[in-house]
Amino acid sequence: MLLLSLDTATDTATACLWRDGDVLAESATAGRSTAAQHLLDDVDHLMRTAAVEPSQLDAIVVGTGPGTFTGLRIGLASARALGFALSVPVHGVGTLDALLCGDSVDVACIDARRGEVFCKGAGIDLCAIAPAHLAELIAPGTSLAGDGAVRYRELLEPAAVIAPDASPLHTPWARHHASLSKLWAAPEPLYVRAPDADRSPPARAAS
Amino acid sequence: MILAIESSCDETAAALVDDGGRLLSSVVASQADLHARYGGVVPEVASRRHLELCVPVVERALEDAGVGFDRVDAVAVTEGPGLIGALLVGLATAKALAFARRLPLIPVGHLHGHVASLYLEPEPVAPPFLVLLASGGHTLLAEVDDHGPGMRVVGQTLDDAAGEAFDQGARLLGLGYPGGAALERLARDGDDHAHEFAVAMAGREGLDLSFSGLKTALRTAVLAAGGDDAGRADLAASYQRALVRSLVSRTMRALEVTGRDTLAVVGGVAANGVLRAALEQECARAGVRLALAPLALCSDNAAMIASAARFCAALPYPEYLARDAYATA
Ligand SMILES: Nc1ncnc2c1ncn2[C@@H]1O[C@H](COP(=O)(O)OP(=O)(O)OP(=O)(O)O)[C@@H](O)[C@H]1O
Ligand SMILES: [Mg+2]
Repeated sequence: MLLLSLDTATDTATACLWRDGDVLAESATAGRSTAAQHLLDDVDHLMRTAAVEPSQLDAIVVGTGPGTFTGLRIGLASARALGFALSVPVHGVGTLDALLCGDSVDVACIDARRGEVFCKGAGIDLCAIAPAHLAELIAPGTSLAGDGAVRYRELLEPAAVIAPDASPLHTPWARHHASLSKLWAAPEPLYVRAPDADRSPPARAAS
Repeated sequence: MILAIESSCDETAAALVDDGGRLLSSVVASQADLHARYGGVVPEVASRRHLELCVPVVERALEDAGVGFDRVDAVAVTEGPGLIGALLVGLATAKALAFARRLPLIPVGHLHGHVASLYLEPEPVAPPFLVLLASGGHTLLAEVDDHGPGMRVVGQTLDDAAGEAFDQGARLLGLGYPGGAALERLARDGDDHAHEFAVAMAGREGLDLSFSGLKTALRTAVLAAGGDDAGRADLAASYQRALVRSLVSRTMRALEVTGRDTLAVVGGVAANGVLRAALEQECARAGVRLALAPLALCSDNAAMIASAARFCAALPYPEYLARDAYATA
C-alpha cells in the first residue's frame, strides 16, 4: 500500500510518502500561514524523490487538527480533492494523535492562539485550555509536546517536561498519520471552537 | 474542456465549459440561508461550508455534464478578490485536482469572471464594450477591449457597492439577507414616486458613484413612515428607483464620455428587472447596443469563471503548486 499523508493544521506543514511501513520520503515546512500554501510543492518534491506518480497512490491520510482553521482546511481540501481525482479513499487522523506518537509524549499541545492550547493525552480529552490551567491538571513530570508546549514553555515547565524547541517531538510528522491506521476515520475537521461571528445574529429572526 | 471552481464569497460553485464556450453544467450551492441569521456573510462560517461542499459540487458538475474527471483538460479557479479563507478552500481543491493528473491550472480574477458571463454560447457578446459591473462587493464602469482579464476602470463607487445598497435597504425594510431580489419583489406593489430620494452624485462631475447617502435617507424615511405593508412597498419602490437612476445616469454619461457603442451589464445587480428595463429604454434612445448578462449568470457562479478561463494564461504543472489567493485586487 502506497500512502500519501499530510498535515497542515499547525504552522509546520508535514507530508510523507509511506509504503507498507517504510517512509519513502517526508517533509516538514515551517512558516506561519505560508506552510499550508506550499503543501503541494512539498508533496511534488517527495514524489520526485521517491519516483512515484500520483496515480500510484492507494490512499490519502490527512491530519484533521485541531490547529489554525485556514491551514486545516487547506490540508483537508487538498486531501479530499486528491482522493476524488485519483479515486482513492481519504482517511483522517487527529493532529494531536500524531503528536502523541512521539517517544514517551504524554500530552500533545497545539497552539490555539488567543492564549490557549488545544490538548489531549494522559486522561485529558481534546479541548482548548489556558496553559496555566493545563499546568494545574497534569501530574508532575508529565511530558508535553507540540508548538503549544513550546510557546507556553514558561507557564508549563514547572509541572511538565518539554523537549528543547528544536526537538522533532514538536512536529506532527505525517509518518504518524500513516502508521496510525487503527485511528483512521472520516476526514472531518476538528475545529473545537465555534466560528467567530463578527456580527452577532440580530435579536429578531430574519424573515 | 475546462472545470472551474468558484468560492470567493458565500456560493460554492463548479462548472464545465467546452472548448467552444458551450456550458455543459453549472452547479451553485448557495449558503445564503446559513448566513441569513447573521444579516450578512460570516467569513469563517462561509469557509467551513466551502470545505464541505467543494468536492461534492465538483462531482455534481461532472455528473450533470455526463463526463468523468478524466475528460477535463484544465482546472480553473477564482483566486481573488474575495474572502481569503473562502478563496483558499477553492484554490486548494483546484490545485490538488490539477496536480493529481498533472493538468494545467488557470487562475481567474472574480471580476473578469463576471464580465465573461457574456462570453458563453449560444449568444456570446464580444468586446469592445463599456461594462457596468454591479455586484455585492463592487460597482464600476470600465472599458473592455478584448476577452482577456484587463479592463480600464473609468468610474466606480466611492463607498458602498450597489448590491450592498440593495442588501442594506432590504435589511432596513425587514427583508433579511441577501435582500436585492426580495426588495425588487416588494417594490412591485409600491409607488416608486411616493418618496423623493435624491439621486446620488447627480450633478457631480466625473463618473464615480456613491450610495451611502441613499441608505441614510432610507433609514430616516423608514423611521418616519412606521411599518405598514403599503408604506414599506412604497419605500422599497422609491429606494430602488433612486438606485437605478443613479446607476443609469452614470452609465449613460460614461457611454458619452468614452464614445463606446455597446454597453454590457454584469454582476448580481444586473438581475434587477427595473435596472434592465431602464437601461433598455435609455440605450434604445441613445442608439447603444445593450448586452445584459443571462439572469442565471448574474450572481456568483462557476460558469463565468470557466468562461473567463478560456481567455487567461494557463499555468502548466508544476508552476501553480505554491499559488496563493488574494483578498483585494
Ligand atoms: N434582483 C436583484 N435586484 C437587486 N440586487 C440584486 C438582485 N439579485 C441579486 N442582487 C444583489 O446582487 C448581489 C450579489 O451579487 P454577486 O453574487 O455578483 O456579488 P458578490 O459576488 O457577493 O460580490 P463581488 O462579485 O463584488 O465579489 C447581492 O448584493 C444581491 O442583493
Ligand atoms: Mg461576485
